[in-house]
Amino acid sequence: MEGEAAANASGVRHADALIALADALVGDDDAAMGKARGRLLQAVGACGLVDAAAVVSNFERMVRIADATGIPLDAPLSVLAGELGKELGLLRYASAANTPAPGTVARLIGALFRPLAHGTLRLARLKGRARGGTSPLD
Amino acid sequence: MEEISYVGAAFPVRGDLSEAHARAWRRLSEPGTHWSGAERVAIAAELRHARGCRVCAERNAALSPFSITAPHDSLGALEPAAVDVIHRVATDPRRLTRAWFERILASGLTDGQYVELIGVIVTVLSIDVFCRGVDVQPHPLPEPREGKASGYRPPAARLDVAWVPMVPSRGAVGAEADLWTSGRTANVVRALSLVPDEVRTLKDLGGAHYIPCEKMADLRAGRSLDRRQIELVAGRVSALRECFY
Repeated sequence: MEGEAAANASGVRHADALIALADALVGDDDAAMGKARGRLLQAVGACGLVDAAAVVSNFERMVRIADATGIPLDAPLSVLAGELGKELGLLRYASAANTPAPGTVARLIGALFRPLAHGTLRLARLKGRARGGTSPLD
Repeated sequence: MEEISYVGAAFPVRGDLSEAHARAWRRLSEPGTHWSGAERVAIAAELRHARGCRVCAERNAALSPFSITAPHDSLGALEPAAVDVIHRVATDPRRLTRAWFERILASGLTDGQYVELIGVIVTVLSIDVFCRGVDVQPHPLPEPREGKASGYRPPAARLDVAWVPMVPSRGAVGAEADLWTSGRTANVVRALSLVPDEVRTLKDLGGAHYIPCEKMADLRAGRSLDRRQIELVAGRVSALRECFY
């Protein structure tokens, strides 16, 4: 599932308009930029638009830092992520070469701790609901 | 010195963003660790010039980024190796390789110069992208300030997992104590630590653009956008740029 259907299925409010802004700001089509800006402005207001532009520009900075210095994914995250990179098709990225595949022991540790990580997130969601608000994980 | 201002912008830019950009612009004009103020501003000018480089456009369309060997359309103020770094990082960051990086160092650029160069590029680029996002013209580049580059190199910096030397995770002590809580940081924060001032700029901008380091683990941290919306946008940019990290 891709595109707007995927965005809308994500459960994130105004996902489609946010993604459209990110796409336009990373691209170089000024007409698309204007259209995306207007669409996001309608969806989340002026402050939301400014925040979205700030996040896009932040990550235009961060991806270049990562790719220009050859840093690997941090070891704990790499272990916990397991096969996720492969499942999401991320291994085709040239920069995937900067993160060595975890060894056998690391893969075993990851397999052991991934259910715990899922459980912890589930607990955080339940606790958030119990406190009477929505959990940020909802 | 030109001050950065968003007064008169079509959309209300938060004070913390405006102030972080003003600090970054001031730092841009000052002598750095390995580059003078004039050189730092020249890097920013070359970055903006790179967007119109025909060689970069041709290279981006080519199957291999290294099959195009013509020199870049350049302003001529910097050495070719620095120009190549600026243009490639600006226009084709997803295909940078260790072998290319090693050729850059072999051409005479030092590792410290390279790291500071990356720091200047990404600082100016991120502010320019933000301006485009809120429909503001790019800020005029500042007048460079006189003075010598400090030449500072953190004593703890060493080669470990990246292409460049970095301060170890537990090495944020002494003069580097403010960079992160010693023993607890991510590689992307350590990445520019061979030039600690670039990490300071990164943290300052990141706190205003994204989320302050101390709130990173708080899944409720957000402003007008909630955390999930923020991470959706962050993930989208990372996917568009094919950044595995």
